Amino acid sequence: MDLNSTPRLAPGCRLHPTENVLLIPEGTLNLTGPTREILTRLDGSKNVTEVVTELLQEYAGADVIKVQGDVLSVLNRLAQRGIVRA
Amino acid sequence: MTQTNTTLAPSSPLSLIAELTHRCPLHCLYCSNPIEMQKAESELSTEDWRRVFQQAAQMGVLHLHLTGGEPLARRDLPELIRAGREAGLYVNMITSGVGLTEDRLAMLVEVGLEHLQLSFQDLDEVSANHIAGTRAHAIKLALVPVLKRFPLAFTINLVVHRMNLDRLEEFIALAELLNPDRLEIAHVQYYGWALKNRSLLMPTEEQVQRSLPIVEAAKERLKGKIHLEAVFPDYFGSFPKACVGGWGRQMMLIDPAGQALPCHSAAVIPELQFDNVREHDLAWIWQSSSAFQRFRGDAWMSDTCLACPRKERDFGGCRCQAFMLTGDPDAIDPVCSYSPHHGLLKNLRVSQPETLPIWRG
Repeated sequence: MDLNSTPRLAPGCRLHPTENVLLIPEGTLNLTGPTREILTRLDGSKNVTEVVTELLQEYAGADVIKVQGDVLSVLNRLAQRGIVRA
Repeated sequence: MTQTNTTLAPSSPLSLIAELTHRCPLHCLYCSNPIEMQKAESELSTEDWRRVFQQAAQMGVLHLHLTGGEPLARRDLPELIRAGREAGLYVNMITSGVGLTEDRLAMLVEVGLEHLQLSFQDLDEVSANHIAGTRAHAIKLALVPVLKRFPLAFTINLVVHRMNLDRLEEFIALAELLNPDRLEIAHVQYYGWALKNRSLLMPTEEQVQRSLPIVEAAKERLKGKIHLEAVFPDYFGSFPKACVGGWGRQMMLIDPAGQALPCHSAAVIPELQFDNVREHDLAWIWQSSSAFQRFRGDAWMSDTCLACPRKERDFGGCRCQAFMLTGDPDAIDPVCSYSPHHGLLKNLRVSQPETLPIWRG
């Protein structure tokens, strides 16, 4: 997963409409920090750079490099579990 | 060790298991359905299930597991899936795949099916069909490429026991080839029909020991590709499993006739009285049904368990197993090395002379 990847949630994984959890096969993941903000933006057409750009508009003054690193780290962790695919 | 308030129920279970029917084209030797199966005439109606799903979602349940028997035996299955999704639940279906055509699958996905679980009885067709009591293996294999064309999470469940554990590596290789999102390697649990066939299915100690590094290696090799989960055979452990995440803590099972059970096999414990969703709403059952209250918390526990810090992890182990092996549902789960009955398992683990299989009805 890098800045040019176009990640999306794997089939059978979706955000709960009201609770701060991700529903996955046989379980749920509690979402911490900005994870929900990242995942709501994965529509299969935006790449990671575009997701980061959108997040920077939400969080004015945040450091670009740090946000890029945080987003990639969340996405890579979820990709390892098969929850996000590039 | 102080006793905590034993009757206070968590506000809601996390998952609801809906045994839609006990009808099934398969007759697996280890089926978890009760020996006394519910008849088709007594099954809940579409409307009953719709009401149950809504009540479940309202109380905070997140996952709905449609199982059986074979869910496809219900003609109203698309309506039931739609009802689950409309209520707000995540919908999973556990199926044999027998009778699932591409058109029918397209319909089920269209109405909201999110995850499908397919189990394999063995890697070899003759043996797999023998275990299933019917010719299902080729049908399952043929279904997989069809499944992969749909936006659906797909889990393969490999059920392992004495008859196939020696070929675990090849069995895993077959599963890899089929390329599911998730792979579960589950040892048979000795309840229901599996208990009847225990002497036939129980692996040897050597088989279990050889299988452990194979599972670990597969986990490592498949990382990032297939999520692997393995269920250890608890007869070979020193401490009990946290059965169903603790009695009346995380899950509720509704049987085809509407009885609400704390687990798949709770009906084996003779004293338990189950309430029915035809007469009570789910929230009442969860909070007040005597069957759910019976082993909630720690009031029922022996002094050994009460004094043991592990009770917060295993919640006293499995009540059904304690009853089946000792005749006392309050006994320490004999899997636990602190149980005075732990020696029983040593005898049960010894390979038994071959006996004749008993297929599920």
